[in-house]
Amino acid sequence: MNVLILGGGISGVSAAKVVLKEGHNAIIVENTPELGGTMARIANCRIGFKTFFDEIKDHPSLQVIRGASVTAAQRKADAFTVTLSDGKVVEAHRVIMAAGLSPYDPVEYKGKRVLTSLEYDARIDQKMGELPEDFNKIGFFLCVGSRSKEYPLCSSVCCSYTIREVKWTLQRAKPEIAVFYNDLRLFGQEFYLEKIYRDAGVRFVRANSRYFEEDEEGVTVRYFVDGVLREERFNYIVLAIGLRPNPGLKDLSALFGFSLNEYGFIAEEEPLVTDAPDVFACGGALEPMNIKDSILTGFGAGVLAVKDAELLTAAAREEGLLRDEDPPEIVMPDGDFKSCAFYLGTDDPGDAMFTEYMSARFIEAARKLNEAGKTVYIVTKNTVMPSYDEVTFEKARREGVIFINLEEGETFSASDGAIRVAGPGRDLTLAAERVISFDDYTDHFKGKEFLSVFRSEPQLRWNPTRWSRKRYHIGFLRHPRDRRWKPREVLGALGEILLDREEERLYPTVEEERCSGCGSCKDACPQKAIDIAITEKQVSIFGPISSTGIPKAHVDEDACVACGLCVSTCPSDVIKFPVEEEKHKVEECMAHLPAEKTA
Amino acid sequence: MQKTEYALELTDYRRQDFSVCLGCKICASVCTVNDVSSGTNPQEMLQRLFMGKDVAADEPLVRFCTGCYRCTGACPWEIRIPDVVRALRHVHATESPFEKAFKGSVALFGRVYEPYVLMKAVPFLLTGGYMKHMTRWMEYMGFHLPHKVKRT
Repeated sequence: MNVLILGGGISGVSAAKVVLKEGHNAIIVENTPELGGTMARIANCRIGFKTFFDEIKDHPSLQVIRGASVTAAQRKADAFTVTLSDGKVVEAHRVIMAAGLSPYDPVEYKGKRVLTSLEYDARIDQKMGELPEDFNKIGFFLCVGSRSKEYPLCSSVCCSYTIREVKWTLQRAKPEIAVFYNDLRLFGQEFYLEKIYRDAGVRFVRANSRYFEEDEEGVTVRYFVDGVLREERFNYIVLAIGLRPNPGLKDLSALFGFSLNEYGFIAEEEPLVTDAPDVFACGGALEPMNIKDSILTGFGAGVLAVKDAELLTAAAREEGLLRDEDPPEIVMPDGDFKSCAFYLGTDDPGDAMFTEYMSARFIEAARKLNEAGKTVYIVTKNTVMPSYDEVTFEKARREGVIFINLEEGETFSASDGAIRVAGPGRDLTLAAERVISFDDYTDHFKGKEFLSVFRSEPQLRWNPTRWSRKRYHIGFLRHPRDRRWKPREVLGALGEILLDREEERLYPTVEEERCSGCGSCKDACPQKAIDIAITEKQVSIFGPISSTGIPKAHVDEDACVACGLCVSTCPSDVIKFPVEEEKHKVEECMAHLPAEKTA
Repeated sequence: MQKTEYALELTDYRRQDFSVCLGCKICASVCTVNDVSSGTNPQEMLQRLFMGKDVAADEPLVRFCTGCYRCTGACPWEIRIPDVVRALRHVHATESPFEKAFKGSVALFGRVYEPYVLMKAVPFLLTGGYMKHMTRWMEYMGFHLPHKVKRT
C-alpha cells in the first residue's frame, strides 16, 4: 500500500516511521527544498529533527519529494492519483495531511531592534558560546498575533518557546531579561525552568505592551504595572509570534475534499480523521501544538492509515499496555449562596504543572455556576488554556464569569464571605461566599505516576506516551489536559507500541558474580532502568554466622533504551553488551571465506 | 449603577462584548491620557463597568480621553474604549457644548447643520474651545505671511 504524506515536518516524518515499520511504502511530499518545517527553523531543534529523520532516511520503501506541491488529485477505486507541480504522478491509497503551521509575521511592529522569536533564534545561533554585540537588555513579549479577534486561538507553544529562548540566552551570556506575559502557558517541567530563571534574576511582568519606540540605540517600551505606567529602555525586543494555520490547507481541502473549521485548521470527524475518505491529519494541521504532540499525532495518523486501530486498541488493552486513570472532578459548592470565587494559582512549581488541567475544570465549573445565576469570580495567577481551550475561555468571559488577573507581587486572601486582592497598585475586596482554591485539589495529584512530570524533556519528546515497554500512559496520566486529547493519545500510543514491538535490541547484561554493587551504573542510567537488588547471604568470617546483604545491579529491560552509558561507566567491566555471541557469528562467517581473504 | 447600564446601552456593544478583555493592559501602555495623568488604565475601567460598578465623571480617562483610538488599534480584541468613554460623558452630562450641539444637530436635522451648531456652540468655542486661541494663532500665522520688507 502507498501512503502519501503531505508535509515533511516532524509529524509527517513520525507518520512515515509507523507506515514504514508496517511494511508499506511512504511518499513524503515537501513544499520547501528542505525537510523539517517549523521545527527545523528552531536552531536547537534542527539536530533533533535530523537524528529523528536519519533513522528512516535510507529506508528502501521511503520516497522523499522536495520542493513540490500538489496540483491535482483524483480518487478512483480506493486510490488517489496525485499530480505534483514538478510533473510527477503519484499513486496513493491513503493520504496523511501534515501540512503544519505558519508563524505570524508582525509587520506592524517589526524593526531593526524589534525581532520576532524566530529571528532572534537565528541571531543568537550565529555565534555559539556568546551573544552578538549589544544584547545587554532584552525584553520578551508574549501573545503577538494570537489570542485576538482576528485569530482567537492560543498558539500554545510560544510561552514554552520563550522560556527556552531565555534558557539559550542565559547559556551564552548574562544579559538583563524581562518577560512580559498575559499567562504563562507552560507544559510540565517547564514550570521548574520558570522557577529557576526567576531565581536567576529574570524579571517576569504580568502586563503586555504594544508601545515600542525604536531608535538607533534601543527601544523605549511603555507598560502598565502596579497601577502606574512605566517607561523602560531595552536593547532588543523579542515578540513571541503566534502560529497560524498553513494557508496551503485551503487548496488541499479543495483538492482532497476535506473540510476546514472556522479558524482554518482541518476539522476532525473522528480523532485524526478528516471527513474525506482515506484522508487523515496530524500535527499542526489540526491545531497549534508542540513537538511532542506533533510526534504523538503523527504516530496516530500512521496507525490509522495502515492498521485497524480498533483491533489494536482492544489488543493493547487486553495486554494491559495502556494506562489511564479517572481524573478528579471539581466538587461543586452546595447550599444557598450568591457569589463564588475560584483561586487559580499556586506557588509550588510542582503543583503548577497541573494548572492546565485545573484551569479547564475551574472554568467549566464557573460556567455552570454562572448559568445558575451566581456571581462567579476567578482570580488567576496563571490560566493555562492552550489552542482550542482558549475558545472555551473566551466563552466563559462572554457569559459573564469575571476574571481577575493577579499581577506579580499581588496577594490573594480569603476570609469569611469576602476575597481580597491586594498589591501596590490596587486593593480590591469582593463578596464571595464560597471559595474554591487550587490547593484543595493538589492532594489528588500526589503519589501518581504522571508521565509528563516524571520524565525529563527529551525522553518525553521522542517517546510521547511510553513509560516503559509494558506501560504506555494516556489521558490524565500522560499529561493532565483537555479531554479531546485522550483518543489521540490512544492512537499515538498504538503507533509507539508498533514501533517498539519488533525492535531488536541488545540489552546490557550483568555478570553477577563479579558485580560489587557500587551503583555507578545506576547513577549513570538516564532511564532509571537499573536497580541495585540486595540479596541476603549467610557469611561467617572469623566467628559466628551472620547474614549480610549483597548488592547486585539488575537491568530492567522494559525501561532500558540500550544507550550504553552504564557499560562505559562500569569500573570493572561487569556490565556489558552481549557481544560474545556476535563474535562467534563473525568467526563463523570468516571461516566460510576463501583463505587468501581471511589472511 | 443604573447609569452604568445606560452607558453600556448607548454604545454599540452589548455587555458581553466588553468582557472578552484579556486583561493584558496593552491599552494602558499606548494610552495618551497617561501623559496627562499617570495611572490611567482603560482595562481597569472596563472591568469595573463589567462588574457593575460606577465610573465617576472626574476620572482622568473620562475627562481627558481625546478619542484617538490608539487603544483600539493595539487591543487584540479591538475593543472600542473611546466609544465607552463618550457614552459615559453623555450619561454624566460632562460633554462639551460643542459635542452637545453637534449631536443635537444630527438629532434634529439628520446631519450637521452648521448654523445650528454655531448658534449653540460659538460662545463655548470662543471661550473654552480651541477657538479661544484663534487670535494668538492668527498672530502666529501672520508672522509667516509675506510682508513688506523695510528697505533702508
